[in-house]
Amino acid sequence: MHSNKLEENKQRYLNPYFGGVLLGLLILLTIFITGRGLGASGSIKSAVVTTTNVIAPTHAQNNDYDKKFISDDHSPMYNWLVFESFGILLGGLLSGILFGRVKKFRIDKGPNITNKSRLIAAVIGGMLFGFGSQFGRGCTSGAALSGTATFAFGGLIVLLAIFGSAFLYAWFFRKLWI
Amino acid sequence: MNRNYFFLTALMLLLAIGTMFLSKSEQQKQIEPDKLLWEIIQPTRYVSTDEVAKLIIQNDPSIELIDVRTPKEFAEFSLPNAINIPLDSIVTTSSLEYFGIPGMNVIFFSNDAIQADQGWVMTKRLGFDATYVMKGGLNRWIETIIQPTEPKETAPQTEFDIYQFRKGAQIYFTGAKVETTTNAKKNKVVIKRRKKTVTASGGC
Amino acid sequence: MGPLIPNGFITGDWDFVIAILLGIAFGFILEASGFSSSRNLAGVFYGYNFVVLRVFFTAMIVAMVGLLYFDYFGWLDLSKIFILPTFVWPMIVGGVIMGLGFIVGGFCPGTSFTAIAIGKLDGLVFTIGLYIGIFIFTESFPLFSDFYTSGDMGNPTLMDVTGISAPWIAFAFTFIALAVFWITMLIEKRVRKTTTAYKF
Repeated sequence: MHSNKLEENKQRYLNPYFGGVLLGLLILLTIFITGRGLGASGSIKSAVVTTTNVIAPTHAQNNDYDKKFISDDHSPMYNWLVFESFGILLGGLLSGILFGRVKKFRIDKGPNITNKSRLIAAVIGGMLFGFGSQFGRGCTSGAALSGTATFAFGGLIVLLAIFGSAFLYAWFFRKLWI
Repeated sequence: MNRNYFFLTALMLLLAIGTMFLSKSEQQKQIEPDKLLWEIIQPTRYVSTDEVAKLIIQNDPSIELIDVRTPKEFAEFSLPNAINIPLDSIVTTSSLEYFGIPGMNVIFFSNDAIQADQGWVMTKRLGFDATYVMKGGLNRWIETIIQPTEPKETAPQTEFDIYQFRKGAQIYFTGAKVETTTNAKKNKVVIKRRKKTVTASGGC
Repeated sequence: MGPLIPNGFITGDWDFVIAILLGIAFGFILEASGFSSSRNLAGVFYGYNFVVLRVFFTAMIVAMVGLLYFDYFGWLDLSKIFILPTFVWPMIVGGVIMGLGFIVGGFCPGTSFTAIAIGKLDGLVFTIGLYIGIFIFTESFPLFSDFYTSGDMGNPTLMDVTGISAPWIAFAFTFIALAVFWITMLIEKRVRKTTTAYKF
């Protein structure tokens, strides 16, 4: 508890509204340059398609979903979102170094659960999020944020579905967080 | 701190409200008034009914006939292959797709040339080129093409030539009507609408 | 003139250099705003931390209003930008599943990458989960390939669906977002009084 207290004192974050304005301007810049917004889950999809394609090429080509993203010209990893996601990693590292948050591996969790249950929850949450993002045509950054910001109807649907449903679930999973 | 937030809230609201005033004037980027005036006095912006008749008979694919009268009048009588865009809906986005297509010449017409002129000015102000008005409108069309009058015997030869052409056109537009309409349909110009371009998809 | 890449102002491999640079900026902003901590992210659903809501909606209204100004100044052709396609039913179901993933896992994909960057194991495990989840999806795709494309509406914008003009939509979002900011500020004050064990 004591060490947590110390850590809390060290945390320095941007003012959320300032961060939001920066992020909004970044979305504008991204749309200005590329004609579309930011994304994240697409890179994992590329990774999945790539590994399937490498390990079992015929299987991947017979899969109706995989084959949409496979072309003969280049690997599915040669994709805008893959490079962008690599950038996210670098940018996060940069900010972490700047604000002194890069430390040895640790786990961030609610006060009333063990590390093990936090990791199990994280992997299950990740699986659900990954699975759902394919139906939603993108995740919070690609569909909900960039989509709605470009006035796309689908973006708003995803936005409302994610945040609306998460508020409903919150009560059931309160043990995880508070 | 709260005072800053009040200020920022107000700023954001103002910016959002500001967009409402932008987009209206933005939609009508107009050409300079002196340029418009210059264009208006150019006689080349008119085409005669004879020329229009010739273009229709030749099935010229580069012309777009636009009837600016009401849909009711359009239903009663119009030129073959004409499109009806009433004056009040010329500046709508769906109508604007007909203008400014490279290689296409738009010809406005109405009963007289007045409404067609208004349509011409509207599109001209929005900066569209290659737009014309059929001189004299459909009234003149009836007088010259549908019911041409024979020139006096003393008239010069050219008048007789024109009369000959008009008589031919009269047969084309009235007598041989059944044939022409089917013929015209076969050669109907495919309108190249400027589509919304959608950039490559592929989820987030 | 914009968007630059679809209009051919930038070509070839610069595309990917730009992708990395934009990604760095994205990652930086996410991390610097505190999105690398799952506790910060989950806080929004329990009323103890509204950072997600604030950053997210501020970014959204800035981008929305900004787009309209960009369009006005002729910097960006709004008809040329990518509009997310709409598949009503899969999107609702996908969103509901993602919502569950969010509350259980405490991250969304972009934020979990930044969490890895600063050494959070739960972020790493979440990303592995993402991979498994998408793998399960692709392998079981034949089961719901019909559902995947159901409710296809093409690429409609909010203006197409509602018939309201873009400035009014942007204003409505701005107004709601600003109202929510003020309301949450009050909620946060109240909840923080009662939650003693709160730490980032």
